[in-house]
Amino acid sequence: MSITDLTSMGEPQSEARKYINERLLKLQDEISDYCFQCAKCTSGCEAHKLLELEPHKIVALLKRGLIDEMVNSDIIWTCMSCFKCRERCPQKVAPVEILFALKNMAVASGKQIPGNYTQLLQSVLSTGLLQDIKTITTKDNKTLDRNQLNLPNISKPEDPMKFQTMLAKIAVEKL
Amino acid sequence: MNKKIGVFVCHCGINISSTVDVEQLTEFAKTLDNVVVSKNYKYMCSDNGAKLIKESIVKNKLDSVVIACCSPRMHEQTFRGVVESGKVNPFNLEIANIREQCSWAHSDKELATKKAKAIVKSAVAKAHLLEPLVKSKIKVTPNALVIGGGIAGIQASLDLAEKGLKVYLVEKSPSIGGRMAQLDKTFPTLDCSGCILTPKMMDVGNHPNIELMTYSELVSVDGSVGNYTVRIREKARFVDMVKCTGCLACVDACRLKGRIPSEFDMKMGKRGAIYVPFPQAIPLKGTIDSESCLMLTRGKCGTGPLCVEACEPGAIDFKQKDKEKEIKVGAIIIATGYDVLDPSSMYEYSYSNSKDVITSLEMERLINSSGPTVGEILRPSDSKKPKSVTYLLCVGSRDETECTWCCRIGCMSALKQMYLLKEKLGDEVELNICYTDIRSFGKGYEEFYRNIRGMNTNFFRGRPSEVRNAGEHLTIDIFDTTTNKLFEINTDLVVLVPALVPRYDSGELAHIMRLSQSSDGFYLEAHPKLRPMDTLTNGIFIAGCCQGPKDIQDTVSHASGAASRASVILSQEEMDIDPQIAIVDVDLCSGCKVCISICPYNAIESVEEEIDGKIVTHAQVNEALCMGCGSCVSACTSGALQHKGFKDKQILAMIAAVGDY
Amino acid sequence: MEKFALYPGCVMPTEQYAYEMSIREVIPKLGVELIDLKNFSCCGEPIKSVNQMMTLTLSARNIAIAEKQNLDIFAPCPMCHLALTETKKILDSDEIMFDRINNLLKDEDLTYKGSSKIISILDLLYDIVGTEKIKKLVKKPLKDLKVAVHYGCHLIRPSEIGRSDDSENPQKIDKILKEIGANPEYYPEKLDCCGALLSTNLPESGLTKTGQKLKSVQEQGFDAFVDTCPWCHRQYDAKQVKAGETVAAKLEMPVFYLTQLIGMSFGIPEEKLGLKLNQSPVEKIGVEK
Repeated sequence: MSITDLTSMGEPQSEARKYINERLLKLQDEISDYCFQCAKCTSGCEAHKLLELEPHKIVALLKRGLIDEMVNSDIIWTCMSCFKCRERCPQKVAPVEILFALKNMAVASGKQIPGNYTQLLQSVLSTGLLQDIKTITTKDNKTLDRNQLNLPNISKPEDPMKFQTMLAKIAVEKL
Repeated sequence: MNKKIGVFVCHCGINISSTVDVEQLTEFAKTLDNVVVSKNYKYMCSDNGAKLIKESIVKNKLDSVVIACCSPRMHEQTFRGVVESGKVNPFNLEIANIREQCSWAHSDKELATKKAKAIVKSAVAKAHLLEPLVKSKIKVTPNALVIGGGIAGIQASLDLAEKGLKVYLVEKSPSIGGRMAQLDKTFPTLDCSGCILTPKMMDVGNHPNIELMTYSELVSVDGSVGNYTVRIREKARFVDMVKCTGCLACVDACRLKGRIPSEFDMKMGKRGAIYVPFPQAIPLKGTIDSESCLMLTRGKCGTGPLCVEACEPGAIDFKQKDKEKEIKVGAIIIATGYDVLDPSSMYEYSYSNSKDVITSLEMERLINSSGPTVGEILRPSDSKKPKSVTYLLCVGSRDETECTWCCRIGCMSALKQMYLLKEKLGDEVELNICYTDIRSFGKGYEEFYRNIRGMNTNFFRGRPSEVRNAGEHLTIDIFDTTTNKLFEINTDLVVLVPALVPRYDSGELAHIMRLSQSSDGFYLEAHPKLRPMDTLTNGIFIAGCCQGPKDIQDTVSHASGAASRASVILSQEEMDIDPQIAIVDVDLCSGCKVCISICPYNAIESVEEEIDGKIVTHAQVNEALCMGCGSCVSACTSGALQHKGFKDKQILAMIAAVGDY
Repeated sequence: MEKFALYPGCVMPTEQYAYEMSIREVIPKLGVELIDLKNFSCCGEPIKSVNQMMTLTLSARNIAIAEKQNLDIFAPCPMCHLALTETKKILDSDEIMFDRINNLLKDEDLTYKGSSKIISILDLLYDIVGTEKIKKLVKKPLKDLKVAVHYGCHLIRPSEIGRSDDSENPQKIDKILKEIGANPEYYPEKLDCCGALLSTNLPESGLTKTGQKLKSVQEQGFDAFVDTCPWCHRQYDAKQVKAGETVAAKLEMPVFYLTQLIGMSFGIPEEKLGLKLNQSPVEKIGVEK
């Protein structure tokens, strides 16, 4: 009849859970329901010791449909996508991919994106690359950039307008 | 001659009737040619159903019967009996499968009923052309073959031998005993495994009805249930079995003593080229490993083979050759056991990377007092006693990337070993166990689990991601879901409890015996609930772990069950042969022999016969060997071969009847 | 001669010049021609967290550019290689995605076909060129240098989609190093992540991962540390001092790109391999200052 999480008074969001599972099926050919909470992912998670990310808990909350609390959290942004969880899971669940889905949902819902992601995104939108050509300092204190190293011209989108139009279309498309 | 046909439609509760309109179907059947009676009933397979059919047969003087019901695999045999009780030949019966092939496959009532009508019409068409068949009889050879000398094979052999039947027990290794001989103690009673096993082994060795063939393997099996001809290869031991007294002097003397990894000790210990696998071996005779022995591989052993010197009765014989023996048996029980998964495939657990990461079977050899360390628990790397031992359960089990199944004995065997480690190393030893679930399902198992929890042991619920070799010791990070904390375990010895897998040679044996394997590779039982010891081939049975992982208790039950099933065949002097086999119309046979090359059971031979003054060469089916597979029938270019239960004219009539569906 | 379109990504051509320099020096000597194409963009992997659809589209677009020239793609950055490989796998098996993405690409007159192969630096050096060919060109073997090999994460995982080496026991870089005279040894932290992806939003935590691994490698007495990824190299080399501060250790570990070490063993002048651009103390193993 009804299931309520008494800590948050949240009820399972079956639509959102269905969406995420469908996305997982589309991209990785696997869903999250098979997780039996062995926590092998968390035991080996590169982000766990430092940042307390618990991939198995992410999967468990997804199974319960308690998605908003994850989308609104900071913890989902601690994953460093090392893919160890996906590699070693005995039930072929991939917490890392669930986290990508949750992060995408956070951005789409208008939440503030942490860190430099906005900057990186802006740069890709305007120049096609994550960052501009940087000047670096060598050990013997010389400063130089790409052009001074006899490297060929950098490869960038030739028609920035068309490139940006295409990206703009994606911004409103759901995966 | 117009046949009188009766049609009986079963509701099968609501299995059929909820999707197929059985009343309509019954009425429809009445409209078909020569159907003189058509009835329906809720459960045709029940007593009342049988009564209904029998009475109808008698009342209407029926010649053939059509029963529209579930798959013939369910009740065809039963219904043949019912028909026979009505004094009609039991093969004048045709089953129309309107359940598995109709009501269970569809949901639209109108369309399903229409399809059911077509199925029944087709069955009635065949019923017109059914012929009475007579079962012939063959003599049954009252001998049994048991393949595999572990506890399953031993138990089955003893059960059959006690019944007075002759049993050939074939074992690949030099001694019977199998995995149970490798164990130290058994759960939950902590009985000494050897102590409860060796009396049975001795019984097998001494039983007048059991012919023990060790160091032997199966070469080929021909024939069928009741009459198998089996070839066994007895490998050369290079030791005269009659002269050898089992004194073990040769084992002690061997130049290569302590140099060859011992299979029985799971390579934790070493043996010589001439060896006895363990002290209680049956038969207690030396065996020379022909791949390591210097005499056999190089033609010389130092200044002379030391085993020959040491052997008083002069039992060493380097000239021995493999022997092939042919035996005749009526039934075969396969009890070949299991292997454990090699954890090297899960590299992250450091099994290949560190000597101090071992499997539970290897640990069992360390614990066993006749093992490589005489029962002392010592780290393989430095032979020191470990201060901390950590068990990892489910290594490769319940894992979609390795073995998807549960090994069934992992939890209990780990708990048992933990008890024994506390005994041997003292209470101060730190014992950790990382588990996903603890499956302590059997009688006395839960109590055992409770006891281990109370023994100063550390249970962590979770699967570690990896085991790191930190040089002097091993490090395991484990997230414990009971406390939601990440623990770092620094431990001296890691025991991996690996998945149980089918034997490495199980595919080979399956090929020789034409056995089916389930998706996990274990041998396929005829029905998982009701016929777990039968295979889909009549006369061949499976016992013990070769069918699927199980503990000793279940293995013994399974083996006794298989013996009982086999004895049903072996206790008959004669057996009925299913008459639904191939038959040759000599007039049509051109003697081309295509059928002979096709037949997988070697059941057809070419014979010369004098017919009407002429010598005619034609094919002849050996009724005892023919399994009725129909391959020859479809290959026969002249139509001379027909399948008695599915003649071409019968099938064509069935197709024609469906024609306007 | 084998030909590949060189797909440089973003970090290598804008910052990690040493990698590009050493690649352009070493690869042609091994009989492989690298073709520079115009119009490439970011592969999208670093912004996957923001919008994965964008990543798929950007990667597909880059593959389409190479396919237009009938060239297979060599992506030296493992992160780019992962993005391109995963995109290829999805588009090659999912018709709907294939159509959706091509619909977006058509405005730029590009079509993803799935005809180009995507190879990594390790695929190129080990599987295509082979260790024998590499050994033949070695003039100055590396004097048994005790090297800690860092495979990184994206080069070897997730093995499901096909990666360049075994995910639990990768050995290909080790084997190449042995051919050029180095001595790669096992260390427990071999498969640990560098933390680079956290530089976007949790830079200190990223540096902690970097520093922890380098500290342990240093304590185990390694002479050098080798990687094949611009992201990893940026952490271990350019940010080594900062990483050391984060974990309260003085880190003095020479960090090289694999192609730099190979180039050194071939006798290629150190200038040309970009060794002056390495921020870590590469001079410790006899590299000119």
